[in-house]
Amino acid sequence: MASKENNNVHPEHEHISSYKEHFGTWVGLILLTLMTVFVSAFGADLSTLTVVTALTIATIKALAVALYFMHLKYEPKVYRAWIIVVMALFLFFLTMVILDFTTR
Amino acid sequence: MTVAALSQPNFFQAKKGIASWLFTLDHKRIGLLYLYSIGFFFIVAAGLGVLMRLELLNPGRDLIDAQTYNQVFTLHGVIMIFLFIIPSIPAVFGNFALPLLLGTDDVAFPKLNLISWWLYVIGALFALFTLFYGDGPADTGWTFYAPYSVRTGTNVSMTVMAAFVLGFSSILTGLNFIVTIHRLKTPGMGFNQMPLFAWSLYATAWIQLLATPIIGITLLMIVAERVLGIGLFDPSIGGDPILYQHLFWIYSHPAVYIMALPAMGIVSEVIPTFAQRTIFGYKAIAYSSMAIAFVGYFVWGHHMFTSGMSGPAGFIFSILTFFVAIPTAVKVFNWVATLYKGSISIEVPLLFALAFIFNFSIGGLTGLVLGALATDVHVHDTHFVVAHFHYVMFGGAGFAFFGALHYWFPKIWGKMYNKAMANLAFILLFIGFNLTYFPMLIVGIMGMPRRYYDYLPEFHEMNMLSTFGSWIMITGLIIMIINLVVSKQRGAKVSGNPWNGITLDWQTSSPPPLHNFDKMPVLPEGGPYNYPDAISTHEEKEKKDDE
Repeated sequence: MASKENNNVHPEHEHISSYKEHFGTWVGLILLTLMTVFVSAFGADLSTLTVVTALTIATIKALAVALYFMHLKYEPKVYRAWIIVVMALFLFFLTMVILDFTTR
Repeated sequence: MTVAALSQPNFFQAKKGIASWLFTLDHKRIGLLYLYSIGFFFIVAAGLGVLMRLELLNPGRDLIDAQTYNQVFTLHGVIMIFLFIIPSIPAVFGNFALPLLLGTDDVAFPKLNLISWWLYVIGALFALFTLFYGDGPADTGWTFYAPYSVRTGTNVSMTVMAAFVLGFSSILTGLNFIVTIHRLKTPGMGFNQMPLFAWSLYATAWIQLLATPIIGITLLMIVAERVLGIGLFDPSIGGDPILYQHLFWIYSHPAVYIMALPAMGIVSEVIPTFAQRTIFGYKAIAYSSMAIAFVGYFVWGHHMFTSGMSGPAGFIFSILTFFVAIPTAVKVFNWVATLYKGSISIEVPLLFALAFIFNFSIGGLTGLVLGALATDVHVHDTHFVVAHFHYVMFGGAGFAFFGALHYWFPKIWGKMYNKAMANLAFILLFIGFNLTYFPMLIVGIMGMPRRYYDYLPEFHEMNMLSTFGSWIMITGLIIMIINLVVSKQRGAKVSGNPWNGITLDWQTSSPPPLHNFDKMPVLPEGGPYNYPDAISTHEEKEKKDDE
């Protein structure tokens, strides 16, 4: 009953991404993957920064997927806010576990 | 309040046959499917609890040996936590009452709702299956602590898979409620006009959605270690057992609020209805639910103070733990303030709500002893902890569940239970509960460890008291169940609104029709608890008394 008459249901304005945008994102992901392989397999000597580099590249790739392939860039701000909250929570979990491990 | 005339058949009459129940998409029927299945498992687990108390009546072996005792307390914990308390109020009363409270005809995804129940049944069957093959049910405790859970020969993998499947049921229910609350509120109802039970379900749903996947992954890691020998938690193959405890409690502490928050929502519904006055501090109660859900994510480490976790981490977790007390206390003070100058009618649901406040306060205050680093060291893994969480879980969430059952019983079945019997059951439950668990606080302080089937002679008297209490409690439970089952068949018929409530669930007939409302429900002016005859000042009270 209420669902069809509901004043909280707004019409959605869907963004349709272009092939160019999808293709560009895909190329970017491939390049970043190649960079990860290069750092790992071809002996780029980054010493202690090896793990940091791999994680940074992985984070950028995940962001690209979330923003473009999963349309987060075109969704209402509230979704982005929730993603940020969840990522902040995840960061807190990691920080506390690492803090515990390093100070035992 | 005008109650809609009955023009459609009610949801019991709308369709007939077992298939119409097992494959129903009606949120009310799904709520009842959960009630029957959750009720069954609660009775099984309560029976196991009584068996444990019988074994502890005297020191030494009375009924069962040490290994069986280990398996019994594990099964009791797994069933009570994963099959009763976590799904209980959201799955039963959330499903039944949320769309009614919001003035809509169903949840956002009815088919997903049915899948949630089926996943619950499949998870439950997995748990039961562990009884009948191999070395029997797990003996690890409901926490599945590594490395023991990786090494024991009992059916840990199957038990863990049961919890994994049940987690999916929980996630889907949470997702359904979030979307329902955002999208299906009746026209004119904003977040700040929403009943407080809906607020508590909303906060709970975010925990279900965000925290449950973590336990799912963690439990899969246990299976991976057991089956594939991957060194994740067992130090002998390169793992870290404390990492397991971190991952487990990152979910399981927020899960405490999956159990407690809906119970608080029930209390927030019951108190204004039976005080017939506006709830004190509506926004404070609503937002404190969100605050509890949020802060609850940051405190898991207080379960690990003696596990070998580092001092600095323990210090931070201890401080953060104390922050949870603030929004919890906000709720308690507001409930008490609501009763002040109310036109209170002492009905059974209100008694359960008041018992919730009493028991939960003891549970909360003993929680402060456990949240403080220095005192926790002395009482960790003693019966003090067992008593503390039973005060929170059973004395709190369990009593709220019973309160909700008595509150919405006339709405669900259109009949009233025998109030004298319900009062008797309540009194026995309340006395029995406190007699069972308060002595555990004392023997815990004295140093009696938990999870042992034997104990030293100096703990005997308190254990006897505790076991006697369990008999009183189980008597109350049996009377309550018989009373409700008999009243469901033979109870006196009631009007649509026997409690004079003003939330939208009381604006439809009892039992409600299939699509909930014959006509569009009318929002009460001035908020969901703005009782027209409420007395707000002392002068008004005196004037009414004079009249």
